[in-house]
Amino acid sequence: MRLGALLVASALIACAPPPSRAGRPERVVSLAPSLTEAIYALGAGDRLVGACAQCDHPDAAKALPRVGGYLAPSVELVLAARPDLVVVVPSPGNREAVRAVERAGVRVLVLQDRTLADLRAGISALATALEVPDAGERLVGEVDAGLAAVRARVNGQARPRVLLVVGHRPLIVAGGGTLQDELLTIAGGTNVAADAGAAWPAFSVEMVAARAPDVILDAAMGSEKGSRTLFQELTGVPAVQKGRIVTLDPDVIFRAGPRVPEAAGVLAAAIHGR
Amino acid sequence: MTPAIAGEGLAYDYGRGAVLDGVNLAVAAGEIVGVIGPNGSGKTTLVRLLAGVIRPGAGHVMLEGTRLDALARRDIARRLAVVPQDSALEFPFTALEVVLMGRAPHLPPLAFPRARDLDIARAAMARLEVAAVEDRALVQLSGGERQRVLLARALAQEPRVLLLDEPTTHLDLRHQTGIYDTVRALTRASGVAVLSVLHDLNLAALYCDRLLLLAAGRVVAHGTPAEVLRAPLLSEAYGVPVHVGTNAATGTPIVLPLPAPS
Amino acid sequence: MRPAHLTARRLATSLLVLAAALAVTLLAATLIGPAPASLRVALAPGGEATPDYAILFRARLPRVLLAAVVGGSLAAAGAALQALLLNPIAEPHLLGISAGAAVAGVIAIVAGADAASAVVPLAAFLGALGMITFVYLGARAAGRASPHAILLVGVVCNALAAAAIMLANAIVSYTQAQGILFWIMGSLSTQGYALVAVAAAYALVGVAWIVRHAQDLNLLALGEESALELGVEVERTRRAVFVAASLLVGAAVAVSGMIGFVGLIVPHLLRLAAGTDHRLLVPASFLGGATFLVVADTVARTALAPAELPVGVVTALLGGPFFIWLLRRSLVRGMA
Repeated sequence: MRLGALLVASALIACAPPPSRAGRPERVVSLAPSLTEAIYALGAGDRLVGACAQCDHPDAAKALPRVGGYLAPSVELVLAARPDLVVVVPSPGNREAVRAVERAGVRVLVLQDRTLADLRAGISALATALEVPDAGERLVGEVDAGLAAVRARVNGQARPRVLLVVGHRPLIVAGGGTLQDELLTIAGGTNVAADAGAAWPAFSVEMVAARAPDVILDAAMGSEKGSRTLFQELTGVPAVQKGRIVTLDPDVIFRAGPRVPEAAGVLAAAIHGR
Repeated sequence: MTPAIAGEGLAYDYGRGAVLDGVNLAVAAGEIVGVIGPNGSGKTTLVRLLAGVIRPGAGHVMLEGTRLDALARRDIARRLAVVPQDSALEFPFTALEVVLMGRAPHLPPLAFPRARDLDIARAAMARLEVAAVEDRALVQLSGGERQRVLLARALAQEPRVLLLDEPTTHLDLRHQTGIYDTVRALTRASGVAVLSVLHDLNLAALYCDRLLLLAAGRVVAHGTPAEVLRAPLLSEAYGVPVHVGTNAATGTPIVLPLPAPS
Repeated sequence: MRPAHLTARRLATSLLVLAAALAVTLLAATLIGPAPASLRVALAPGGEATPDYAILFRARLPRVLLAAVVGGSLAAAGAALQALLLNPIAEPHLLGISAGAAVAGVIAIVAGADAASAVVPLAAFLGALGMITFVYLGARAAGRASPHAILLVGVVCNALAAAAIMLANAIVSYTQAQGILFWIMGSLSTQGYALVAVAAAYALVGVAWIVRHAQDLNLLALGEESALELGVEVERTRRAVFVAASLLVGAAVAVSGMIGFVGLIVPHLLRLAAGTDHRLLVPASFLGGATFLVVADTVARTALAPAELPVGVVTALLGGPFFIWLLRRSLVRGMA
């Protein structure tokens, strides 16, 4: 009888998930480039044991073992790194993988990156999880200071009408309620697509003509010829008339990490023509 | 006199053994030749060869003295018409449109039918008693009406040779004889040469000038109905005992299969 | 009550009515849109510099014309392919030509070409050509390509191409994936007048080539043997119509992705209304398809303004339920 109970108990223990280790996470896997940057900025970069393929900043991150892509992380590679904390941003495609990692008993921290408020909350949550709250506060302060500096630089200047293009065919632009929209505002521009009712709406060319932006920022892949071909017919649009179609590197603009002040600076320079 | 259509040494193989072998036949203008025989004896294959739809493995077909394979399709279609067993039409063409298609070989590619073409088509339909359904879709007609429309189409082609493949399958008694009355009148009046596959031996006896009995891809007998419709020949070909009598009203043979002894 | 057969007069009248409907639709579509624009301002002296002019004549009109050309091409090709495959509910995208064009376009994008450059439609068109050859040769046995064989090989090619597109979707970056979506959903973004003119000339040649074989297509509906017996060179006709129709589809997809339902619904609807004679059905489908897609594109541009819907979604939403209604009606009447 006692043997039976012992067997049952052992079986139950064997099936139970391993207990989360209390204490500071020492083996961290990051599944988003922005989170990797944040971890390094918090001074905890030495605790990273795995990163997604797109994590390339700072340089040290390039040496980290790869665990799959931002869109499609590999559950096996993540678990093989024996992490005690996995940090992730929801992407179209990584949900199932993340769930699988959770079911395997690994602690997962999911952070949003849709707005600046998300970014601040995310840095704080990350700092708390890594048990470096002071570094977290400091980093948030640096980000805010950086953004304030950009705001100050453009203060007093006219606010040009701006369109941020993300895809060429179909023509996708940055709408309101996105991080990029907030950065545009900080950088001293007015997003002509802010009222589109969606984060990444498809726009028809006639809407571009109607909204008459002063500057068109093209952050689509393969931008060089694309933007010229797309808009060359719209000679009435100020951005086309004055040749103010500026190509931007999508990596800088779309990474919602501690470098957003840099992104805001790039946007400001592009918008105000410096 | 050159026969209207003739086959010399025709052979055909679908890939699983010869379906036709060494078949010779000739149909003169104004003549009705019937092709009879059990299922699988190659009757339909023979029609397809004569129509030029398939090429013989050996031998050739002559249409009014010219080799069939030397003629363009449109030329053949102007002189030779085929009435198939049925039409697997998926699209809602009307009966009149189908009959008018018989005029296509005589018209340039995109031309519309002229008044004369309409007259010919409508006359053919009237003859076959399908004039009333000219504006109904073919797929909506009964089996019998469809068959008569198909014959009307062949007549509208104004052919000199007419091939019929069991044209009476869906027809009731009245229309069975009606069709052949029409065909016979046509041959007498215009000298059209007719070759018809039949499964009804009594109809064959009534209307055909000559008969061809096919069995296992070969011609086992040919001649007048009286010569071909004999009990021993038929029993051997069809594999069932038959009794051959005489139709008192017409003097033509009657063929009756005999039930198995009880 | 439809007359029993097609006359030259009925052909001319029907086409005139459809052409007039198209003209009116083109005009209305140019004047309707999410951005306000005044025709009077645009046409006034000095109007060329106004935003109204840019909206009407630089952004909208070329797009509306392109929608007409693409819709017409898809519908005319649909009518021809339905006749060829002896199936009244065949769709131009069924045979894999569109998917072949899409794969080639996707490869161009993945290889780094800009989605808006001229390289991509050109690649797509070449993809369509390749697929046409592949399907035709694959279906040909003993010198004949029967409708059954074409359909089978086409469906398989379609599945293969679709799988290739899924594969591309799995490996590309997020922004590139948007470009791939274009092919799958279809999109009628503004192109230059030059491209529209080329597409229009091309479509007219393609449609004329099909119409040349229109009577043969009528005869083919009777069945291969009956068509032969009525003088049709069946294999030659099939090849010519297959190639012409597929080129029309390939060109349409190359410029606008896979827009569904137009090639299925428009010929079917016109067949119910105007009869199956392809001498009328093919040009009528061109005009009807042009009108239908212009309307669908107008809805796509305005329904969620200022954002726009992919036009393939609109054609499916407009066409799907309508098609079910049509089908039920003809089933009840015993005519399907």
